[in-house]
Amino acid sequence: MGKFVPTPSCTVGPFFPAHYFGPNDNDLTVTSNAAGASSKRAQGTKIYIAGTIYEADRVPRWNSIVEFWQADASGHFAHPNDPESSKADPDFMGWGRRASEDDGYYDFITVKPGGYKDPLTGLVRAPHINVSIMGSGLMRRLVTTFFFPDEPANAGDPVFNAIPDAKVRERIILKPAKFPRAPADALCYRLDIVLQGEDETPFFLD
Amino acid sequence: MDKLPNRFAPYDDRTQPAFKVEGYKETITRVPMQGFYKRPATLTEVTGPLNLARKLDADLSDLSRAKGGGRDGKDGARAMGQLIFVTGRLLDEDGSPVRNSIIEVWHANSAGRYIHKMDAGSPFPEDPNFFGSGRCLTDHEGRYQYISIKPGAYPVPNHPQRWWRPPHIHLSIFGSGFMSRLVTQMFFPGDPLNAQDRILNSVPDPKGRERMISRPIPMMELPRADVVGFAHDIVVRGSRATPMGI
Repeated sequence: MGKFVPTPSCTVGPFFPAHYFGPNDNDLTVTSNAAGASSKRAQGTKIYIAGTIYEADRVPRWNSIVEFWQADASGHFAHPNDPESSKADPDFMGWGRRASEDDGYYDFITVKPGGYKDPLTGLVRAPHINVSIMGSGLMRRLVTTFFFPDEPANAGDPVFNAIPDAKVRERIILKPAKFPRAPADALCYRLDIVLQGEDETPFFLD
Repeated sequence: MDKLPNRFAPYDDRTQPAFKVEGYKETITRVPMQGFYKRPATLTEVTGPLNLARKLDADLSDLSRAKGGGRDGKDGARAMGQLIFVTGRLLDEDGSPVRNSIIEVWHANSAGRYIHKMDAGSPFPEDPNFFGSGRCLTDHEGRYQYISIKPGAYPVPNHPQRWWRPPHIHLSIFGSGFMSRLVTQMFFPGDPLNAQDRILNSVPDPKGRERMISRPIPMMELPRADVVGFAHDIVVRGSRATPMGI
């Protein structure tokens, strides 16, 4: 343990400012929010991920703050903890944010992340996206990880397999889908997030 | 492994809030019931966005004037209320500065009302000159500062057991990685409403609660004469010193 203790977490509350959201905050393929910005697009396969967030009894939960964090298309991070950070795509930041809409809908545009051999554990990580959910009623954030369907590396992924029950693991595998709001050139996936209930999304100890 | 600078331990529950808070009904229907899975920390957990200022405007450190709110794109007129100056350092668990991190700051106006559609039913007036949110960036020493007006207290809406939120400031901090992400609230020293706030008091350890309460800054140490000063250091998870084994 370090000598300083982390400041307690607290709920984001119901009043997270709407004007914190830029037009491209949920589009990870661009690195700017400026109107008409001609920033280069991130490398990789463009994907669209959307779904609905529910609280107990399948009630859609609007005004949830959802954040993505992921590797670039080749499995690198622009961060000093990644020994191969110099290989990270300069046009990809890996982060996005979105508030769920009145009907609980959320969506992100991003690129499919690459897997990597993890230098901390020596294990191979399958392609995945870390997701944080914050909101009123959540004194601490909830964290989960999305995985991709038909990925052989899922079988050896240490986070995927931290969930012993295959039926529960299935709930964080993205499902191929179609959405009217998706960009025409994106592969589309659905994943509904159930905060509480029988088919609750598995969340990790943070 | 030893070359990796940041390590992260699980939070100590005594120093963090309970998930379910009595009288805070939203915690009943939104908190998972099936427990949390323990997972190893891999690169995705120990990295995070370090260049967010490319996308988010981090130069919004005077909340007392709505940026671009005035005519001709100039800063707007000043919001009503007591001007405050808040400063402190963002540190990791070793006490090392967390540099170049965005801190998002939002709060109610001096009458206790938010600029948010969720607060449309508030009995308190809006202030046309108060935007309610800003951002600042920590410097080389991890130091941040912002100017604002002191928020008012407000009763928690639509709760059968009525209770007041004391004046508080919301903070959203990115830190050095995914596991240092922190959303918290800062309270004001000596406020009589602090003792009955269900959110502040959901942290079991009294020392933990004290870590959310700012300290007064002596007037002679303030950069200007028209502000009341509050000091507030924030510690995010992460350590360079000791292997954490997770």
